[in-house]
Amino acid sequence: MTGVVTFPRFDPSVVADDGDLRRFCSTCAFSQACVAEGMDKSSLGDLHMLVEHIGPLHEGDHVFREGDRFDAIAAVRAGTVKTYIIDDDGREHVLGFHLPGEIIGLNAIDGDRYPCNAVALDTVMLCRFSFPKLSTLASRLPGLQKQLFKLMSRDIGKALQLAGDWSADQRMAAFLIEFSRRLAARGFSATRFRLTMARTDIANYLRLAPETVSRVLKRLQDDGLLRIERREVELVGLKALETLAAPVLRD
Amino acid sequence: MPHIDPDLLRRYDRPGPRYTSYPTAPQFHESFGEAQLREAAAASNGDPIPRRLSLYLHIPYCTSPCFYCGCNRIITRDKARSESYLVRLYREIAMMPELFDRDRDVIQCHFGGGTPNFLSPTQLGEVMDSLRHNFNFSNSSKRDISIELDPRFVTPAEVTELAAIGFNRASLGVQDFDADVQAAVNRIQDVDETLAIIDACRDSGMRSINVDLIYGLPKQTREGFARTLDIVTKARPDRLAVYGYAHMPQLFKAQRQIESTDLPSAEEKLGLLQLAIEKLDAAGYVYIGMDHFSLPDDDLAEAQANGSLHRNFMGYTTHADSDLIGFGVSAISHIGDTFSQNPRDLEAWQAAIDDGRLPVFRGMRMDEDDCLRADLIQALMCQGEIPVAALERRYAIDFEQYFADSLARLAPMAADGLVTLAHDRVAATTLGRLLLRNIAMCFDRYLDTGGAGLKPASPPYSHAI
Repeated sequence: MTGVVTFPRFDPSVVADDGDLRRFCSTCAFSQACVAEGMDKSSLGDLHMLVEHIGPLHEGDHVFREGDRFDAIAAVRAGTVKTYIIDDDGREHVLGFHLPGEIIGLNAIDGDRYPCNAVALDTVMLCRFSFPKLSTLASRLPGLQKQLFKLMSRDIGKALQLAGDWSADQRMAAFLIEFSRRLAARGFSATRFRLTMARTDIANYLRLAPETVSRVLKRLQDDGLLRIERREVELVGLKALETLAAPVLRD
Repeated sequence: MPHIDPDLLRRYDRPGPRYTSYPTAPQFHESFGEAQLREAAAASNGDPIPRRLSLYLHIPYCTSPCFYCGCNRIITRDKARSESYLVRLYREIAMMPELFDRDRDVIQCHFGGGTPNFLSPTQLGEVMDSLRHNFNFSNSSKRDISIELDPRFVTPAEVTELAAIGFNRASLGVQDFDADVQAAVNRIQDVDETLAIIDACRDSGMRSINVDLIYGLPKQTREGFARTLDIVTKARPDRLAVYGYAHMPQLFKAQRQIESTDLPSAEEKLGLLQLAIEKLDAAGYVYIGMDHFSLPDDDLAEAQANGSLHRNFMGYTTHADSDLIGFGVSAISHIGDTFSQNPRDLEAWQAAIDDGRLPVFRGMRMDEDDCLRADLIQALMCQGEIPVAALERRYAIDFEQYFADSLARLAPMAADGLVTLAHDRVAATTLGRLLLRNIAMCFDRYLDTGGAGLKPASPPYSHAI
């Protein structure tokens, strides 16, 4: 058995680890803020009071829907959450996929309603932070505020990446490399993971036809850059994929 | 081929599944229905590279009963019955495409039975038209459209018609040419007529011909079976299946017509198997695994050599990784991690279709342990070995720890020279490859865990040899 866990398999200790007064669970997006900024015990305790553990949600369960009153942001502890909107013609637009350690609901901060839907793609566990309380706390704790800004700007940056005039191969490679890096940042394997979203979701997100997603992946597989078995992916030619993805990711 | 010690083989002649699937059909349950099948199909469309499709069509009718048969079939001489069956079959075919994305092309299509050629070539052509209308058939040269033929009820001219419809593989039932055996099993089949059908298949350009033989039939002798093997190997079908007859009259009514006193003893049965192995080996056939042989240049032998061999309800195939849709009474589908089966009685199947429902009556969703064991048994059946490192990586397990019980059960088989056990490799020996199902049974979670000396499992399975 290898030491690195492949996503979305999780080390049960991660979820069992609800943290304590000093330490947040290792997957938490705020853990870095706490550790790096050296929050004092009482601040940590205050932040911890805001956290509510939610889940497990199952595939298809909504975390929130567009128009719901915004009252909290949530950090993913396990699983994948998809955010999307439905346009006036009833067409779905996928905004993003949120992995363990990442925050959903940030794009609601400037209003009082969620501007999108969030749905669980597999078994999802969440930490819910009541937003009014979080912002009050953030005004007292500069470290927390800084982390919030950081998370928000990262959220905006992510949405921009696919707006360019990139080829299907470049988009696909960028998607895989970005996915891989985000997983690696959370301690998962960078080269083996499960794509927890359906190909229609990937296609929608990358603005490609579903058939194109499959065709491109087949070609990348034939070229020996990756191997796919059902939803399990192995990135064999990480360097070549990174080169292909570089313009999109602005590496 | 190894020398076979009769004592050893007798010890391993225990009932067990043939593992055309794992888990096996007795594990299916009725809480898996239409809704679950639709969900499974939708999920399978969501794979980054959705699997291609395989189609299986079950034609249950036979003109006369062969007494050895354990298939789901209906005996009738009334050809008109096929018309009402086909009406429902077309409806079932028309219900399926909406479940599957259009870019999932069909790479394999197989007609089984019963006797598919109970239908006329015209009718079979209509079924193919219906399939082609509803599904997108691959243009790949590897695409297979195959049919099981009863050579007694098809003419060379009809074979030419079938080839024109698109059939490029045929599997012919022979069993044994010996007159006494044929009388005892109620299947009188002429040698010359059969050879004429093999020739017709070849002349009409079919890519591959399979012949089915059975050992262990009533009145069967080494001399008679040797003659059959000589005739068949001389005709050089690309593939040969040599099945052991499973006498289970409590389960299969037709088998009650067989006098158990006419059956060869266990000793004689082993002799027949050994004879078949020696003759086929001498004739240049390669052993693929689990009753199957092929010529060395056949796709099957090539697939085995390059690791792409696969096993499903239709037997061995070169088309790994396809989702299987079964049509017709009793047919089984395998979509994603699920199995589902149509009703085994005609009335229930018809009633479901007349109601506009997908006629699934039972099935199951495999859990992760099922998938792991299915992968393992698949590799064993096809490559004769267990890819320890690959399974450990894929399922995040420690093989020796996870399968400690199985490996303990396997230990006596290693002592008997059937498997070699190393830290990173579990492989069947040449001898062990004749007893793959015994090896696989050690890894079957659903069997009584009596070890290599397995208790007769419930539900009843046929014997290993």
